[in-house]
Amino acid sequence: MIESDGVSDAVPSSQLKDHLTIFVNGKRHMVRGLDAFRPLTDWLRYDLHLTGTKVVCAEGDCGSCTVMIGRGVDGRIAYAPVCGCIQYLLQLDGAHVVTIEGLKYAGGLNPVQQAFVECHGAQCGFCTPGFVVAVHSLLEPSSEAIDACAVKRSLTGNLCRCTGYEPILNAVEGVDRAAVQSVDALFPPETILEEMTAAAREGVLIAAGGRSFFKPVTIRQAVEFRAGNPGCAIIAGGTDLGVQMNKGMRTPMSILSTAALPDWQWLDVSNDAITFAGGVTLSVVQDVLREEIAECAEFLEWFGSPQIRNAGTLAGNLANASPIGDMLPPLMVLDAEIILTGATCERAVSINDFYTGYRQTVMRNDELITGVRVPRPAEGDVFRLYKVSKRKDLDISTFSAAVWMQMCGGQIIDCRLAYGGVGPTVVRLRKTEALLRGRPLDDETLDELQETVLSEITPISDVRGSDSYRNLLAVNVLRRLALEMASGDAGSSKPV
Amino acid sequence: MSYVGKNIPHDSAAGHAAGESVFLDDVPPMHGEVFVGIVGSPVARGRVQSLDLAAARNMPGVVGLYTHKDVPGSNRFGPVVHDEDLLVVDEAQFIGHPIVVIAAKSREVLAAARRAVRLEMEELDPVLSIERAITLEQFLSPLRKIERGDVDRALAAAPHSLEGVFDIGGQEHFYLESQIGIVVPGENRTFTVHSSTQHTSEVQALVAEVLGVPFNHVNCICKRMGGGFGGKETQAAQPAMLAALAAYHLNRPARFAYSKDDDMRFTGKRHPFKVFWRAGFDGDGSILAADFKLYSDGGCSTDLSMAVMERALLHADNAYFIPNFRATGRVCKTNLPSNTAFRGFGGPQGVAAIENLIEDVAVAAKIDALDVRQSNVYRAGHDETPYRQRVGNNTLPELFAKLRLDCSYDARRREIDRYNAHSRSHIKGLSLTAVKFGISFTRKALNQGNALVNIYTDGSVVVSTGATEMGQGVNTRLRQIAADELGVTYERVIVTATSTEKNNNTSPTAASSGTDLNGFAVIDACQTLRERLSEVARRLFAEHDPSGGDVATPLNDEPCGILFSQGSVSRSGSAGPGIAFTKLVQRAYEDRVDLGARGFYFTPDIGFDKETGEGSPFYYFTNGVACSEVLIDRFTGELRVSRVDLLMDIGESINPGIDRGQITGAFVQGMGWVTAEELKYSDKGVLLSYSPTTYKIPNISDLPDVFNVALLPNDACVQSIKRSKAVGEPPLLLGFSVFAAVKDALRSLAGQRVELALPATHERIALAIARIAVSNQPVATSASR
Repeated sequence: MIESDGVSDAVPSSQLKDHLTIFVNGKRHMVRGLDAFRPLTDWLRYDLHLTGTKVVCAEGDCGSCTVMIGRGVDGRIAYAPVCGCIQYLLQLDGAHVVTIEGLKYAGGLNPVQQAFVECHGAQCGFCTPGFVVAVHSLLEPSSEAIDACAVKRSLTGNLCRCTGYEPILNAVEGVDRAAVQSVDALFPPETILEEMTAAAREGVLIAAGGRSFFKPVTIRQAVEFRAGNPGCAIIAGGTDLGVQMNKGMRTPMSILSTAALPDWQWLDVSNDAITFAGGVTLSVVQDVLREEIAECAEFLEWFGSPQIRNAGTLAGNLANASPIGDMLPPLMVLDAEIILTGATCERAVSINDFYTGYRQTVMRNDELITGVRVPRPAEGDVFRLYKVSKRKDLDISTFSAAVWMQMCGGQIIDCRLAYGGVGPTVVRLRKTEALLRGRPLDDETLDELQETVLSEITPISDVRGSDSYRNLLAVNVLRRLALEMASGDAGSSKPV
Repeated sequence: MSYVGKNIPHDSAAGHAAGESVFLDDVPPMHGEVFVGIVGSPVARGRVQSLDLAAARNMPGVVGLYTHKDVPGSNRFGPVVHDEDLLVVDEAQFIGHPIVVIAAKSREVLAAARRAVRLEMEELDPVLSIERAITLEQFLSPLRKIERGDVDRALAAAPHSLEGVFDIGGQEHFYLESQIGIVVPGENRTFTVHSSTQHTSEVQALVAEVLGVPFNHVNCICKRMGGGFGGKETQAAQPAMLAALAAYHLNRPARFAYSKDDDMRFTGKRHPFKVFWRAGFDGDGSILAADFKLYSDGGCSTDLSMAVMERALLHADNAYFIPNFRATGRVCKTNLPSNTAFRGFGGPQGVAAIENLIEDVAVAAKIDALDVRQSNVYRAGHDETPYRQRVGNNTLPELFAKLRLDCSYDARRREIDRYNAHSRSHIKGLSLTAVKFGISFTRKALNQGNALVNIYTDGSVVVSTGATEMGQGVNTRLRQIAADELGVTYERVIVTATSTEKNNNTSPTAASSGTDLNGFAVIDACQTLRERLSEVARRLFAEHDPSGGDVATPLNDEPCGILFSQGSVSRSGSAGPGIAFTKLVQRAYEDRVDLGARGFYFTPDIGFDKETGEGSPFYYFTNGVACSEVLIDRFTGELRVSRVDLLMDIGESINPGIDRGQITGAFVQGMGWVTAEELKYSDKGVLLSYSPTTYKIPNISDLPDVFNVALLPNDACVQSIKRSKAVGEPPLLLGFSVFAAVKDALRSLAGQRVELALPATHERIALAIARIAVSNQPVATSASR
């Protein structure tokens, strides 16, 4: 419930909507009360009878539930494929959800569907709608050539158990691209954009069945609500919270949305750093870093899937404080700053001082992450990222590592090492770093430092790997890097 | 003009792509329908100490709570042996073993009620491994054996011998649509069961038995499955039975749908195997003797484990003639969900056993493994299996020789040797393995099929059989066959949902046999109809053209000299215009000719004595070979399949597009089994890898960088349907070539044989490389000094 000393002072409830406005395939729907706390796919399938969207895993790991979600951005609607099963309705105020049913063209099957039929891209048919949505999104009208590799990269979020994927790739290749229409052509923005934008901007307060949902429009409202509702869950992309709620691991009584906060999608690229506002999705981060810190952008290819990166935010990944959060090690060795904003002040904390224990941070309960400043590695610095998982794509790290080194004449002048998956938090290997300074990175050094490396980590055995494997990787990534450097820098994981 | 042989899209493809195909959970709940779920055992083995249902019972929206005491018929069930309790009576046998069934008005209430049940268990010591079961001699089956020659003597006399232990992991089906059943009660204790099942007759029988009603009171219908892969052969029955229990007591429609997590945790999987093997061979790599002791993990009950083991034994020779051969098998009883059918059905484990042996023999004999395979392959004069069946229409030597050339095996082998000699970051491996897959159910009775073909007075045709559609395209093929047989256009035929009311006593759609058994039955029914229609046509032609007396005498194989093609009917040898099929049908109706027919087929010439291990269990063999090349990161063990060349003999394909999809799909599924798909359990038997977050099936990016699939021309498989060969399972077994290539890579690093358990996960590969590094170290150190 909303505490009296929570939002009420700051926000007259008359200015707050008590419902959500969600568009589905061009049609407006009002969502009230406890319905706001339901997953999108339940609502689509069971209430709207749009059963083309399938649910398999309910955790964003198979893509059968892929839908397009459009939001008003700079006077247009920007659509992206996301996993509908881990989107909750309360995240979708002012959004336009386009399902497989919405991608039907007037004349019958759309060209993507036609190609799936002709090229045997569907067998049992359960994953097919999700694939069609993802492929349609990939092939939206554009003159850009899309090579086979890009096709695979865009479909790593969709699992198929029948075809062995080859017929699906054939289908994508077989699509008559000239006939593919944009979502805007199917759902003209002029009819819905204004209402979408207005709804997205408005504050919302829904209290029902003992649960509350608040979508504030100022940071102050947000932090005050957070302070007044201990245990409140903050939701942005919801790619982790959605899973926890689906699986009954967490049922937060109050949920705070960051969606309508001002200056929330801002980013700044300067000579020495790139700064991302709190709401910037991982997809946007990846796009920006492709030009700015390529190693980081490539690493992001293995962060979840396109659907996950389209929804999840960088701030969320950091706030989640998982020891296997993929962006933590790189940002630690780059010594990124996390900008925390409270009711009255703002402070910047080095990410290296941010984590205090398993899923624990220095963030106070009246603060939000409003920005992340990522310093650029200097020209000539060694900056390498490694992720080892059971499967290369759409998997959670068994082990991850980030290495930054400043070299001079073959000697390490300065360095930072951060490992994920080897302890209750991501670990900085400070003793090893100290011993590495002034030495070359070679087998002799590593033979000597091996014990130090192992002394700084405390891996466990779990479903993703044994402690002995993690110990082995902790040393081997450095040996691998030494080899890469000795052989003239082939880049991570490239054959040498 | 024939539809058979044409590349026709799957008959549900448009609906699938549009999201309009209806799967069971897409069906809106009927009026009064209840949602059914279970509370299962939290421990792998234990007794119920206390069960408090009060809180759940008092919850608004909860309409029924049932335990074993509420089962009106038999609580004991099983497809072959009735040795599993549907609801726990005395002792829970696996985690998730149902104890309480709950029926509720909504999904939300059901979820809350499941949490509200208070259950305390006395935990008993569970058996969770094959090793433990062997020690305790806890088996589900008698010993099965296939034997030829004097194996012990041949092993002792062989110039070289080798032995090993090979652990083979299980596999989760990961059909995307989780198990589901909807039961609608009718009048007079009748029930309509909508089930996502590969075996409508079995669901019918098991639901009838649990309710204590005769089979004719239950009609089981399956429109389609969102994937099956064997997992819905017997284990689709539990959701149907549990829903039926609620429907019985409440007289309301009832739906039981597993979540993916619960489905993965509580249902059976591919059997893990442990193989103890010995081999005797000479310096040329000729295998003189092989001895396999196979143990499988059957889980808590028999299910299909006996038949799975039998097929494993019948495939432990794979493509190779071994003069002295012995394979014995035992099924272990453990406290895991009962393991069940999975594409290949024991065949993959049997083939893995011998292909793994060959990799190791080749290392010991210092001969390329492909040479060992080719010198032992079934060939003229050496074509009798250890169970005394001759390998007919044997394309194996040709497959090996052709693929060896086509994929440049020898040149790539030299290139890989060079690469491995200088690369310090990666190693490569290469292996070419085979499959010879026996087609027929090993249980003889199952090799039968029936079909119902109805022609309506507008000339449209409905076909139904016992075949169930799980994506494999059986309905499309049956349509092609029926259209050809009746001489109508493809569009005029539809294949409708499988139902026990239309087709009784059907066999599961399994063992790759769906098209063979049901297609022949369709042909039989169509022939009956054609004969009847030919009679009518003869009269019709005689009326129109009294001089054309030639139609009375058959000129060729066509019955009565009447030709049916593309919707028109004509006299053979007559150039005159024919009549429309529809016209003929209407005339037949007027003449009171039956326009519906039942067809039947049983596979001839098969038989196998399970006690002696001898006979001809298979009608024919589907053969294939695949060559896989892998690239392994020496530091992390990460594996990439860089190239696969696959060559299959599937006779004359009925539908090349669908068959190709079966081949690529099966291969990739097999590749997943031998690489990243690892079932991990806690020491209490809790499955830890129970969702796609932790259980990793192949992703689109795991496809081999180069993936060549080719078919060997073969028109000589005369006995099977339209000269085709069954294709559903065999290519899965070629996935083993990826595992063999990993072993080959490790061999090149170690310079000797390397033990590796299946699946070859990144972790297992990395730890194997680390062991090799340690064992090589003294040598390396002394060499460098």
